[in-house]
Amino acid sequence: MSLLAFFEQLAESTWSIELHESQYAYSIVESIHVWTLCLFFGTVAMVDLRLLGWTMRGVPVSEFARRVLPWTVAGFIIMVISGTLLVYAIPIRTYQSIFFRGKMVLLVLAGLNIWLFHTRVYPKIAGWDSDGVPPKAARIAGALSLALWTCIIFSGRMIAYNWFDCDRQPQSAIVNFLTSCTPTDSGL
Amino acid sequence: MRTKLAIVACITGLGMSGWMTSASAHHAFAAEFDANKPVTFKGTITKMEWVNPHTWLHVGVKSPDGTVVNWAIEAGTPNVLFRRGFTKDTLLPGTEIVVDGYQSKDGSRRANGRDLTLPDGKKLFLGSSGTGAPYELTPAAEEKKTN
Repeated sequence: MSLLAFFEQLAESTWSIELHESQYAYSIVESIHVWTLCLFFGTVAMVDLRLLGWTMRGVPVSEFARRVLPWTVAGFIIMVISGTLLVYAIPIRTYQSIFFRGKMVLLVLAGLNIWLFHTRVYPKIAGWDSDGVPPKAARIAGALSLALWTCIIFSGRMIAYNWFDCDRQPQSAIVNFLTSCTPTDSGL
Repeated sequence: MRTKLAIVACITGLGMSGWMTSASAHHAFAAEFDANKPVTFKGTITKMEWVNPHTWLHVGVKSPDGTVVNWAIEAGTPNVLFRRGFTKDTLLPGTEIVVDGYQSKDGSRRANGRDLTLPDGKKLFLGSSGTGAPYELTPAAEEKKTN
């Protein structure tokens, strides 16, 4: 089954339609996504700023991480759940949204950054834990993290705009390629 | 020194968000629709998409030469319409209505809905809120614009 066919099937499921047409549920899910974003990005930003050596330089990095990261993880779990529900409510348009696709690519990159940091940089923490300004590798990881999550939030926000929507033709060839859209006359 | 910097940053941030809220709240009307392209037509509802984040009303409009063209009218959320007295069954396909709104910036047959008049003469407000649409301006400012 192609990806598009999968999302088309999702769009026909009862709960998807219920969410899509809901009086309150969709608004609540979307609000939870935004509120939890504050928790998640807020804590991520603080850890990144510490990694950059821009804040709380007197606090050892491991201490900072130990106390803050559990909240980040909890926030991330809620973001994934609420985000999945939002996709589930409007499967086809979201799947074909260029901003959504960009967001997913950036999420993978952010995950890669975290994985690289935890496997290569963080193991040597004992050597620089109490440093006000951590070594270059840690600073790069922190800066990349801040930049990536900022772009992820921005692209998430842009999903609302229909500028490159599939049913809004004509679009340029590159846009139709990136959104895997087969232009059919929307009649409008 | 750091306290002063923090205070300046906060005030700047609040000031900026205040300025930006009016311009870009929601996904702004001005991003998609043109306040200078008002449209009004009489037509028959062909489809009602009762969905979040915007409901869409599909209307078949008869053009002078007899052909029927399809327009898509954007309206508020199901909850917002419900509070104004609409339900999913108010606008079933086949209902003849008069609707006015503002056309899409790209000239396609899409419009942001304003007022809808049902066959029995009942008038209902379709619009979204917090988008900066013309129907959200104060009456005085609106009058100025049309004069």
